[in-house]
Amino acid sequence: MAAAKTRASSFSRHLSTAAPSLGPGLKCGPNGTVLLSSGIPDLDKILGGGFPLGSLVMVMEDAEAPHHMLLLRNFMAQGLVHSQPLLYASPARDPRGFLGTLPSPAASKDDKSRGPEPDQEKGLRIAWQYKKYFGENQLNFDGQRDGKHEYSNEFNLRNPLERHFINGQRVDCVSIQDSPDLSILQDRCTTFLSQLPRNDGSISCAGRIAIQSFCSPQCVYSNMEWEMLSFIRSLKNMVRSSNSVAIITFPPSLLSPSFCKRWQHMADTLLSVKAIQDDDKELAQLLTGYQDMIGFLNVHKVARINTQVPLILEATTFSIKLQKRRYLVLECLNQAPVDGSSGNSDGTSGSCSSSSKTGNLDF
Amino acid sequence: MAKSICIALREGALEGELAPALTIKDSIASPFGLQVFDHVLSQLFSSILAGKSPSQGLILVSFSRSPSFYLELLKNKGINVASSDKRIHILDCYNDPLGWKDQIVEISSTVTVFREVKHMDKLFNSIIELGRGLVGGGKIRFSIAIDSVDEMLRRASVSSVARLLSNLRSHEQISSIFWLLHSDLHKARVTAVLEYLSSMVASLEPSHQLANGQRGDLENFALIKHNSKKGKFHVRFKKRNGRVHVMSEEVHMEQSGINFTPLTSEGAINQGLVPKVQFNLQLSEKERIDKANVVLPFEHQGDNGKPLQIYDGRRSLVDSKHERAVAVENVQTKEESESESESDMQRGEIIYYRDSDDEMPDSDEDPDDDLDI
Repeated sequence: MAAAKTRASSFSRHLSTAAPSLGPGLKCGPNGTVLLSSGIPDLDKILGGGFPLGSLVMVMEDAEAPHHMLLLRNFMAQGLVHSQPLLYASPARDPRGFLGTLPSPAASKDDKSRGPEPDQEKGLRIAWQYKKYFGENQLNFDGQRDGKHEYSNEFNLRNPLERHFINGQRVDCVSIQDSPDLSILQDRCTTFLSQLPRNDGSISCAGRIAIQSFCSPQCVYSNMEWEMLSFIRSLKNMVRSSNSVAIITFPPSLLSPSFCKRWQHMADTLLSVKAIQDDDKELAQLLTGYQDMIGFLNVHKVARINTQVPLILEATTFSIKLQKRRYLVLECLNQAPVDGSSGNSDGTSGSCSSSSKTGNLDF
Repeated sequence: MAKSICIALREGALEGELAPALTIKDSIASPFGLQVFDHVLSQLFSSILAGKSPSQGLILVSFSRSPSFYLELLKNKGINVASSDKRIHILDCYNDPLGWKDQIVEISSTVTVFREVKHMDKLFNSIIELGRGLVGGGKIRFSIAIDSVDEMLRRASVSSVARLLSNLRSHEQISSIFWLLHSDLHKARVTAVLEYLSSMVASLEPSHQLANGQRGDLENFALIKHNSKKGKFHVRFKKRNGRVHVMSEEVHMEQSGINFTPLTSEGAINQGLVPKVQFNLQLSEKERIDKANVVLPFEHQGDNGKPLQIYDGRRSLVDSKHERAVAVENVQTKEESESESESDMQRGEIIYYRDSDDEMPDSDEDPDDDLDI
């Protein structure tokens, strides 16, 4: 990011000569943003490095599966490992209890065998003019791999996080079940974020806010739709002017459709999780690795801060798998090999018409 | 399947988990909800009596039917309530829910009258108190059956009912809980809330949908008659690993009660949204090794720069070792051919049929050179 770097495009942000010094768990992202890790290395890669500071992430839950808890656990554990202050709000009576279920970082990288990096096309020389734009991304990925144990950890969901991570620092828990309106939560968020103001200088630490099941029906305020929306808007504004990332999960089936849309528009990064039906023969025929999948993750929106250029993903749906039943991985969906003897393909093996029934295939 | 529901309720919650909760949902088109509720109730209670369940007692909160009905029901099923009154207790919210009557004649010792159904927290306290009275304190668990949640929703807000149910689920002494809901009495959001709070949803649907909901039509009359005796029973289980298990059965109403049979015809398979699927363009380890081993069919190629003979279908490989007199300048050493036939299993095979023997082997010329544009 020094001034000596050649410009990649005609329009590029003129950055100051020295990169700001960043605390642990933070790295520089494109367009002058600073990123922090989501706790899931695959998700970081999909989103282009991580969550940018100042963004609001919203996760749409599926009422039939608890996968949003996996995302939250990894997010919170990553913050605690990096000693980042954390505010956690949930509709449970005792939110502190949830901290006991956070995973601990995996021991070493060697026991996890991963496929080869897809961008390591060393044997293939691509002679195209866009190679100069790739240079920036390549740098990012290299940096990520070397300093991976610093920026982003693999979490072993079977082992609980050590006590000293939780006890030693600023971890604040709020129960949102009984509060008649959102003023308590609002105040807690304001106090939390006032400790993390954004200056132009170095960022010593960034904070994380995790709000689980925000419009959960047990909460007294859950039918006050306008109040909830204005809370989200004020949270988004506060987060934008501070060094933190807020993640809110909510079940969209419990909101009226118009409010559900409004909430989705509020998000900078919008993800959703979906449950998978057990023993679904059609799905098993269609996808490889169906047996190991526990759910789907959809990326609807990726944060665009300081830029008008959207990040266009190759795929927006990923399968959630637990590798060795401990590590959360996200994989692209791959079509299962078409059985040549079934004879129905008509040479159109590209389409999914190998089965005679047509399902709701979204192309 | 009804059996699996009963088993799940019987087994109850594991340590540290929320108690399994069942919603039985029906509608006017298929109104067997109460009968299904009775069935599940009697099954669960007999398992409790037989000692098959970690739950030691059952609290029945009755809103829509009188407690004496339930006592009769259990007697008809062969369960002697008098001897088992230490195991079941009925919270009567039917006779005087709002406390209008001055005096209530007590029906039996197993029934307690509750008069403040508008206050969900008081209801919660009563349920817990009764349960503790039944099984004692500590870690001993009991189950709860709620006659119908509709009556609760009539008098209290959705969020207070939701709070009651989720607090019951997370209470350490509750083993399992189930309730009945008539889905057409409420807005869709209410049904969604109750489904959100439960771990199993059993819904009753008519076996044949009525055309346009017109009920006066003669053709539909037969369907209505059919629907009043039979229906479909769908269950969605939320499993611990995050997957959803869907099952279907047919349900028949008979004099003696209700019967569940497996589906006769092919039921509609749940078609969830199948997302956009890509081809797997990456190679696995084995595939990469195979790819490296494939010999491409250019006759100039060779391992050591020597020309290589490719099997071209006119001669067998074995013969080629002996028939050296061919009009091809390919030379092959014995070791090479042996190793080739041995390693044939690992290598991919390219089957290349030469057009004619006169053809010169691949030259280095670019065939595009003779294009005259």
